[in-house]
Amino acid sequence: MGIPISEMLAVARHVVKQRLARRERFAFVLMLEPLFRCNLSCTGCGKIQYPVSLLKKQLSVAECLSAADECGAPIVSIAGGEPLLHPEITDIVDGLVEQRRFIYLCTNALLLEQKLDEFEPDKHLTFSVHMDGPRGDHDLSVCREGVYDKAVAAIGEALRRGFRVTTNTTLFEGANPERMRRFFDDMMELGVEGMMISPGYSYVKAPDQEHFLRRERSHRLFSALLEGSHRAWRFNQSPLFLQFLMGKRDFECTPWGNPTYNIFGWQRPCYLLQDGYAKTFRELLEETDWSKYGHASGNPRCQDCMVHCGFEPTAVNATFGSARAMFATISSRITGRL
Amino acid sequence: MSDDDLADLVERALDYRGFVTVRRRDGSELVGFVYDRGPDHVELFDQTASQRVRLPITEIDNVVLTGDDAAARAQAIWERRRGALEPRETSAWGDWEDRPTLLVVALPRELRGIGRVLGAKPRGMAVTGRLGDHRAVALAVGMGGGSAQAIAEHAPRLVISCGFSGALDPWLRPGDVVLASSVSDEHGESIAVAEPDLRIARQALDGWQRVVEGEIVCTTHVAATRDEKRVLARRGRLAVDLESWAAARAARDAKIPWLGLRVVLDPIEGDLPEFTRERHAGYVIPALRHALAGSRGALDLARLALRSRIALRSLERALSRLAPVIASLHPMERAS
Repeated sequence: MGIPISEMLAVARHVVKQRLARRERFAFVLMLEPLFRCNLSCTGCGKIQYPVSLLKKQLSVAECLSAADECGAPIVSIAGGEPLLHPEITDIVDGLVEQRRFIYLCTNALLLEQKLDEFEPDKHLTFSVHMDGPRGDHDLSVCREGVYDKAVAAIGEALRRGFRVTTNTTLFEGANPERMRRFFDDMMELGVEGMMISPGYSYVKAPDQEHFLRRERSHRLFSALLEGSHRAWRFNQSPLFLQFLMGKRDFECTPWGNPTYNIFGWQRPCYLLQDGYAKTFRELLEETDWSKYGHASGNPRCQDCMVHCGFEPTAVNATFGSARAMFATISSRITGRL
Repeated sequence: MSDDDLADLVERALDYRGFVTVRRRDGSELVGFVYDRGPDHVELFDQTASQRVRLPITEIDNVVLTGDDAAARAQAIWERRRGALEPRETSAWGDWEDRPTLLVVALPRELRGIGRVLGAKPRGMAVTGRLGDHRAVALAVGMGGGSAQAIAEHAPRLVISCGFSGALDPWLRPGDVVLASSVSDEHGESIAVAEPDLRIARQALDGWQRVVEGEIVCTTHVAATRDEKRVLARRGRLAVDLESWAAARAARDAKIPWLGLRVVLDPIEGDLPEFTRERHAGYVIPALRHALAGSRGALDLARLALRSRIALRSLERALSRLAPVIASLHPMERAS
């Protein structure tokens, strides 16, 4: 199982609490971007193209903790930019752990080994290491030689010290299912707790515009990848979301499920689109015209999107929405079948 | 300009990953990064990204995309190097520097005190934490050496040689802090602290009566007795230690700014116990032997423990005062 019971229970408690309070929209995962600067320039990333003064800017510890408090999500994914470049990242993590939230610190792991001393292993803290495939594929994706080897070494050291480690993999057009399956085997052999996969979102600002996956192609790729998936593979994701990627389920996006907070404020409407910012989480929920977004809206920017930050919340919602979906989730977790 | 044209310009500015120049109806101009807009306003960060500005649409006459487009630049770089990867040796910090402040001490006891200032516990002979808003690494390199290797390993932005010293001025008492203006070796060769760095440190420590500024002399053996210290004493020379020369020289050779911050353990008229002369892996057993050796041994030890406690407190206080100005001593800069 890719997700520990205590974390599943925290999410379940959160969903039940929100449902009892009859809240129509609420957050599952806070996407916290404490800074935009990064030590890599990946081919498919549209997150870091800003003037230098904005790249030097970063959220304070207090701003990060207050954002987490404000949205109340049980899980915080610290993204960026590269979070380990933030000089106060340990204080941010410590503060979030104190709030009893489950943290996924998303990192390319270039600095992980030298920063490990600054962190304490805790069940609330997971290093989610960016790995886009086997050595050649990953280094090509992040545009630098040797990054795969460095990441593997850092994962090994983090595991040795008792940290929770997962991987996150973004797939683009041209991904080879056979190589990726071997890569999943390698990651499991390395000892990671679970893996996360998602098709890349076609950022308008990303340098490479040719290799983003279209919806039909995503279905084919993920089917080839996950059909008859290896029992030993553990995914740190809802099985229903993985089935959605394979085209076995149809979901609509839940853009408010994984709200994004960064130096500009609460990003409208989601982690991927930038239609302005709200000053508070409440303002984001109440004053965003959500009907303009999602596959059904006809918004062209949403048509090919199948990214986890929009659809994983839908999958979790669905799990708690019917006994059938709950059964499907549990049985998939037990059998490993998708 | 019609309202529709202006609304279109605002949308383009929102989509633009660079600075824009907004011309107001009163003729004034504002340069900033547009990150939000509403039906009746635009929100920007100024060029330094330190201030948010909210402008009513009615005040805007024109918006021009004047700054470098970061997205277009990324695209151009990617096109240029298509297929070619950055080399393996590229810094793990990428274009961003976060080289630490390196604090070099001799003894694990000094390291524990510094750990309290950095907000972290020592692991072996090192503590990693923060001094002010910056990453800091403190290392116990042993009496006399190890600084060059530490500097080579950590590539710091600033080196601070700190820890215990012996007073060479009769006015100095245990716990007094000596801010080095220069460090000299036994042969009289001297390295001065860069004046701008010294000025910043001086200002940070200003107003604290227990701080003095002057030369530190570095010897290759412990000046343990009053006679040994008197030989070294001369006008302007305030303290003696074993490490500052090696740290200053290694920092100078690596072209890294450095400071010397020593705290007086023993006054000029005081003698250190004999066991402090020699280098030991640990000092507990030699200290116990000294305490058991004679009637004065225990008294010497108690006096040394008290002085080292006073000295460490002073050092912690001095470093805490320096912490807020560390950024001015080595501001974070983009390498390219």
